[in-house]
Amino acid sequence: MRKAGAKDEILYQIAVNLYLAVIFLIVLLPLWRVLMLSLTPFGHLDNSFGLLVGPKDWTFDAYAQFLSHPAFLRAMRNSAVITLGGTAINLIMTVPMSYALSVKSLPGRKWLNIFVMIPFLFNPGLIPSYLVVTSLGLQNTLWAVMIPGAIGISNMFIMRNFFMEIPQDLTEAARIDGASELKILFRIVLPLSKPILLTIGLFYAVGHWNEFFNPMLYLNDQKLQPLPVLLRNILMGVNMNDYVEYDAFSTSSVQSLKAASIFISMVPMMMAYPWIQKHFVKGSLAGGIKG
Amino acid sequence: MTDIVRRSAALPKKNSRSGEILRHKAFYLMLIAPVVYFIIFKYGPLVNAQIAFKDFQALDGVWKSPWVGFRNFMTFFSSIYFWQLLRNTLTLSLGKLLIGLPLAVILALALNESSLRRFRKTVQTATYLPHFLSWVVMYGVLLLLLSPDEGLINEIIKALGGKPIAFLQDPKWYPWVAVLSDVWKETGWSAIIYLAAMTGIDPGLYEAAEVEGATRLQRIRFITLPGIADVIITIALLRLGTILDAGFHQIFMTYSVPVYSVGDIIDTWVYRQGVLDFQFSLATAVGLFKGVIGLLLVVFFNRLARRYSDSSLF
Amino acid sequence: MRKRLPLLVILALVVTFGAGAQQKLVDIELWALGAVTEAGAPPDNWVGYQIIRDKLGINLKLVLEPSSPTDQDTKISVAAASNSLPDIFGVNRDMLMKIARQGLVAQVDSMLPMMPIRTRDHYSDPVLLKLATQNKKLVGLPDPGAMPRVEGLVIRKDWLDKLGLKTPKTLDELVEVAKAFTFNDPDGNGKDDTYGFGAWYESTGLSSAGFGRRFDYIMGAFGVAGMWNLESADKFQFNFRDPNFRKAIEFIRKINEAGIIDPSWTAPNKDEFRARWKQGKFGIFWEQFAALHTTANYKDFDKNFPNGELVPIMPPVGPGGKSSNGLDIAGARIYAVSTKAAKAGKVEAIARLLEWMASPEGYYLCGFGVEGVNFKKDAKGYISLEGIQAELAYTHKSQQPLTQLRNMVYINNDIELKVRYPSYKSANGKTIDPLAIWNFFKNSPYTESTGAGMIDPPSNVNDFKRFYDENLVKFALGQQPLNDQTWADFIAGMDKLGAKDVEKAAKAKLIDQGMLD
Repeated sequence: MRKAGAKDEILYQIAVNLYLAVIFLIVLLPLWRVLMLSLTPFGHLDNSFGLLVGPKDWTFDAYAQFLSHPAFLRAMRNSAVITLGGTAINLIMTVPMSYALSVKSLPGRKWLNIFVMIPFLFNPGLIPSYLVVTSLGLQNTLWAVMIPGAIGISNMFIMRNFFMEIPQDLTEAARIDGASELKILFRIVLPLSKPILLTIGLFYAVGHWNEFFNPMLYLNDQKLQPLPVLLRNILMGVNMNDYVEYDAFSTSSVQSLKAASIFISMVPMMMAYPWIQKHFVKGSLAGGIKG
Repeated sequence: MTDIVRRSAALPKKNSRSGEILRHKAFYLMLIAPVVYFIIFKYGPLVNAQIAFKDFQALDGVWKSPWVGFRNFMTFFSSIYFWQLLRNTLTLSLGKLLIGLPLAVILALALNESSLRRFRKTVQTATYLPHFLSWVVMYGVLLLLLSPDEGLINEIIKALGGKPIAFLQDPKWYPWVAVLSDVWKETGWSAIIYLAAMTGIDPGLYEAAEVEGATRLQRIRFITLPGIADVIITIALLRLGTILDAGFHQIFMTYSVPVYSVGDIIDTWVYRQGVLDFQFSLATAVGLFKGVIGLLLVVFFNRLARRYSDSSLF
Repeated sequence: MRKRLPLLVILALVVTFGAGAQQKLVDIELWALGAVTEAGAPPDNWVGYQIIRDKLGINLKLVLEPSSPTDQDTKISVAAASNSLPDIFGVNRDMLMKIARQGLVAQVDSMLPMMPIRTRDHYSDPVLLKLATQNKKLVGLPDPGAMPRVEGLVIRKDWLDKLGLKTPKTLDELVEVAKAFTFNDPDGNGKDDTYGFGAWYESTGLSSAGFGRRFDYIMGAFGVAGMWNLESADKFQFNFRDPNFRKAIEFIRKINEAGIIDPSWTAPNKDEFRARWKQGKFGIFWEQFAALHTTANYKDFDKNFPNGELVPIMPPVGPGGKSSNGLDIAGARIYAVSTKAAKAGKVEAIARLLEWMASPEGYYLCGFGVEGVNFKKDAKGYISLEGIQAELAYTHKSQQPLTQLRNMVYINNDIELKVRYPSYKSANGKTIDPLAIWNFFKNSPYTESTGAGMIDPPSNVNDFKRFYDENLVKFALGQQPLNDQTWADFIAGMDKLGAKDVEKAAKAKLIDQGMLD
């Protein structure tokens, strides 16, 4: 076999990175436009399709309108509670199930998989779920937002598959040494599963952070409402403003507000992911075997 | 030596049913809380889903509402748009799957292969950001690009001497807009899971391949792809199971009357008919219908997966 | 005996006190359509809560419904489905009718005499009462909500002036003006970026739109504004059966072909339409006076076009001599009482609450705040902010929570109107008076169509509406040919979906309700 030469390597890197650069531009352009939109005074007409709004034209009105809202901090706090608490519940419930189902020798595994598959395929929708939640008296509590979605079935399946990838030698060896299953889970499996735990945790967290519908439905008390509900109410309030009251409380256009609300919700996630990325170390799994 | 012998003697004999169960008792313990959760919050609503076969009256509640058999289903099936809804839903959903999934894998591969660390991380962060845009905002983005009188693409077309195209209102173009905009939005986010899977591949395999003189592409073909094959299959199966969910929010925010014929999907039809019209039984019936179709697809493809690979859902 | 007496006394005291304390508070949960939902509910120490508790014996639990009507409907319908509606709640009419049919709301006729002031001020309009009536029973309390005739045709006067054109009066004249607006660069910016007409296909169910409300002045010029012909029982039918309806659709098709209408009229939502007139994309359109000329909404247009001028004009007269600025459909903000509350005997307490809100004390407190702190009354009794600290003015952002219930007390009287729609100066010093615009609209021809709001949609309304919308829009866009055959097919298709049955049922109901004769 011809050995891959240094020249090939460079060409290859050029191709790969060129591709990434193109993707980067395709993704970035519209995003940039949205960011500019959130900073643009209304009706600003220019020739650059709104892409090149100079900094001197920037107005932070839209952001100010959201951030200065008296309920903003409280909504943020509620979102933080729901996200952290909810994700913790998610992982506590999902991990044991995924792990147990990943054990190939588990008797009845096939039936358990089917048991889990059925609700995934058959989603009865809004009313049946609402009836269950209210019959348990959970409405108007944060539990109504954190518990019903405790296990995301597709997340569970993905995590299960990752656990199945862990070489059996490791776990068997520990078993022979007399370790309990719980110890094996915590000392061996979980440390090796950092990428998937972080990824699935991230999926759950993002879901909680951006969740609007269930909080809108179940949380009557405004003191409990999280950020997306507040943002949407502000947006809709501006929209519905056909009969504007004496004081115009909206100083920005609807479009700027929409764009700004997106960026406000995005910020925590943008900060969280790079931190998570650090743990995506290559070969972390294999390291376990060698070590 | 004697220790080991003693311990293995302490284990109940293999191959006896109760023995197997006892041996796995820790796992069953782990399953208790999740299973209870499932029964209450996943199967509970399914029990309530019987309203699909009833004429749901709020005052009577789920149990006392009268049975009407398949009447709700027939309302759905006998809509003059039934086949069109089915066709639109499948087209959009399959389009997203067949275009989106490979592109997500390719993106993950490219990110994995690039040796420019900073650049790679920047690109990755940028690609998953669109996932956070709501379709409310996305609609504005689409207008920017596709609006007939001032969208970017139409400006280019006009500059080249052509007539502007109303992409969002033209039934010929709308499906492409729907599929490609969804791909744009979700590819970066979908790639995350494949990247996570790639970190689990033994670097030793790569080293060995390099020694053998394999090209980069060969390494991808024989190591990386097989290494993430089961994640791809799992995700594909999961998406097939929900193939009749074609993306309600996206369609709802971007469709309009001129493109109903290609954009109206099952969920938008149900939305207009079901929730707002207080016809919950109908909405639930359609949900069950979607589940049946999803089940058939999953069973079929799962069997294929079992035969040709060693990963499947069940 | 001696020893027992103190005990007896104590017992007697306890009983009387206990009985006094037994005068327990009634818990009432109110889901209100807040004025500015996102500003939040009044704080726990709002003086209103105290008055309600001490004076009325009611422990009020106030929940503000979401801002968007769709979200409101969702929340109500879901609560209804689980039989957990609150005691009293604001609800949109269509949703009310649906849940009333399920028996989930109480009959409230008996409440009216319990609250004389409230009934006199709020519930004495027979048309509004009809809106909240089902099967001859009053199932909701309709507050005067929407004000009538708030929308109409407006035109860019500055464009007319620049091009030296007169105000168009007939449909043909309007088309000529539209052509000029499109092709003759009326804003003088050297760019080919303006249109004559601008509109939005507002698909609003079976009750109003013939071709969306923003085309009603065109449909009206052909005598077919709205979906129904409600002139008399004999003439009652779907407007689309009228040959003039087809002519109106052909007209729209022509202006579409000629390119003199902004192509975004088929967009999915209203925002674009609103954004585009503010950006000066078109010069002839139909809009609501508040959306046009109140400070917040006019501001953006003003900034872009300091010399721009939007003036209302009379709807164009069509070939048959007819014209109409739109439909007169009475609207109301309805509050319903749940059956559950009625069964729990809370109706009397609710009536007390509403009566208090209509009393001067309640009206001013909920509508404007505390006199002397948040507002003052001037010599004529109108609201004024003279001498009121800026941060405490009821209009200030921080005070918004205090007047969340104002929509439950407002009755569109002069006091409110003067305050809500003040005139102001625009960027170039012109005086903008929203109320003047509204008056103009009020004096323009409208088509009476309140009955349309009471027509029950058929069970296949979804398919029905889609077939209707899709075909008309395709005709208008030129996406399908419009000739005798295709038009006949369209009507046949509507009949196949049950149009005749809908007409029959609607006619019977309207005659019965006294809306048709």
